[in-house]
Amino acid sequence: MRGLRLRTVLQHGYIWLWLLIFVLPFLTTLDYSLKSVADGSYSLRAYRYVFGSFRDTLLLSTWATLLTIVINLLVALPAAYALVRFPLPGKAFLLSTLNLALYTPAVVMGISLVIVYNYVFDIAQSFTGLIAAYVVGSYPLMLIPIIVALRDLPTAFDEAARCLGASRWQTFLRVELPLLGPGVSAGILLTFVIVFNEYLVTLFIAGPGTTTAPLRVYGLIRTAGFQPSTAALATTMQLVSFVVVLIFFRLFGSRYLKGTYLI
Amino acid sequence: MAADLATERPIKLARGRRERQRVLMGVGLILPALIISLLFSILPLVYLLLVSLTAESSFFFAPEYTLANYAQLVGRYLPALWTTIYLAGLASLLDLLFGYPFAYILVRQVRYRELVRALMIFPLFGPLYLAFGMYYLLLPNGPVGGMLERIGLQGVTLLYSLPSVLFGMALFTFPFMVMNIGAALSNIDPQLEEAARCLGASPWQIFWRLLFPLSRSGILAGLLMCFGWNLGVHAVPLVLGTINEQRVLSIVLYQRGVIQFDYGLAAAMGVALMLLAFGVTWVSLRFSKGALGA
Repeated sequence: MRGLRLRTVLQHGYIWLWLLIFVLPFLTTLDYSLKSVADGSYSLRAYRYVFGSFRDTLLLSTWATLLTIVINLLVALPAAYALVRFPLPGKAFLLSTLNLALYTPAVVMGISLVIVYNYVFDIAQSFTGLIAAYVVGSYPLMLIPIIVALRDLPTAFDEAARCLGASRWQTFLRVELPLLGPGVSAGILLTFVIVFNEYLVTLFIAGPGTTTAPLRVYGLIRTAGFQPSTAALATTMQLVSFVVVLIFFRLFGSRYLKGTYLI
Repeated sequence: MAADLATERPIKLARGRRERQRVLMGVGLILPALIISLLFSILPLVYLLLVSLTAESSFFFAPEYTLANYAQLVGRYLPALWTTIYLAGLASLLDLLFGYPFAYILVRQVRYRELVRALMIFPLFGPLYLAFGMYYLLLPNGPVGGMLERIGLQGVTLLYSLPSVLFGMALFTFPFMVMNIGAALSNIDPQLEEAARCLGASPWQIFWRLLFPLSRSGILAGLLMCFGWNLGVHAVPLVLGTINEQRVLSIVLYQRGVIQFDYGLAAAMGVALMLLAFGVTWVSLRFSKGALGA
């Protein structure tokens, strides 16, 4: 009996060890952001910058992320319907094509977009280019959870609604969309987490007016080294992301993230 | 007979037309996504290939077509290619080594799975913050550095070193490995293990002769997926690595391409990286049991 307990303790300990390791970089960044360089005392001084000179950057990041989420919804919902409910030829091929951005390394996407933005579309370093890159890189993450949710949704519900006299739109808005809620929310969550913290593609395609917060962190590390203010910005970003994740998990659990291989 | 023929055709026609209408509607629904993919995902890759065949930034002015970029890639930049591959490979192996037990315990023993999943999301926020945080951790006057100095190791050598880069890379892709192995393990009936134990198998035997063969596809899928992701690593070697680790393709690509404007060479590197990553990920999806029925 005692041997069994020891093994269980070790096993749980192993899990907690790794969980601690996952959170450790965040905790150290948090710690560093609170300590003043001079005397090691703790204060919120560095967070002045977050509301001061970093404020515009944070607002830009938030705005870009929200816009991306909306566009993703508009693009991915119909596409998911098309793939699940309609008879399309070559679905596997279509899905692979749509998900291509997921398999593309960030630097490859970055450099190829720089070339195309400069040469073909003439939107180099623009906000439009930024949003386009974010959308194409993240709508697979919106598409997949919605597909999973749609597949699990029995058609009985909307058939019943149609029998009872609802029009197509009514069925969609009042029956299916609420039932798809968790899947859609999973997509929103993933889009948010990825786009909000994206810096590598941004590194290639952003300009002076489109510096997002993670890119700012990157630039600050390269120029000013490791300052408490940089740490404060990084901590804020992670905190916001984590809170969003927590809210999602509270509401829906992790069931709908299953197909995306990110969790 | 004649009556049948008379009624058959109208019904078939109607069905055919409705079918076609539905296909058309499906195409219409999926069109925005396709267009965006085409314009911003596929077209850029085509141009990437084109530019990789031109010298430096001549593509934008008067393209001179050449294979010199690829020659350079396998010549002068072969160490970069090799460093990318073996760093990614080692990190993926680390993931397997530490991730397999984690996945097993998670699937079999742990009830607070939701909490674990929530905390596992942290590395996904970005390798940048991971690298950043690890840097603070390993600073000579930081927490870990202090501990190390008491043992006698120099903190700085751990900071800029291969082990810390590998650790950072492995940490980022850890959730992917756990997910793949967890999915494979959850398909294995626990009664099989109990039966093996009753028949007298040791834990090692249970693993090697029961779990390992049955979870092989998950292991392979996890390894390949982690490998694919780790090929494009950028922040961790940059922040935590020595000059050796910073030879990784994505760092060199950025330097040569954006900073030194040698777009031809950078594009060639991009093509190489893309082929590697794409090939690996494609194979991994064949092995893993995705929700998409792959």
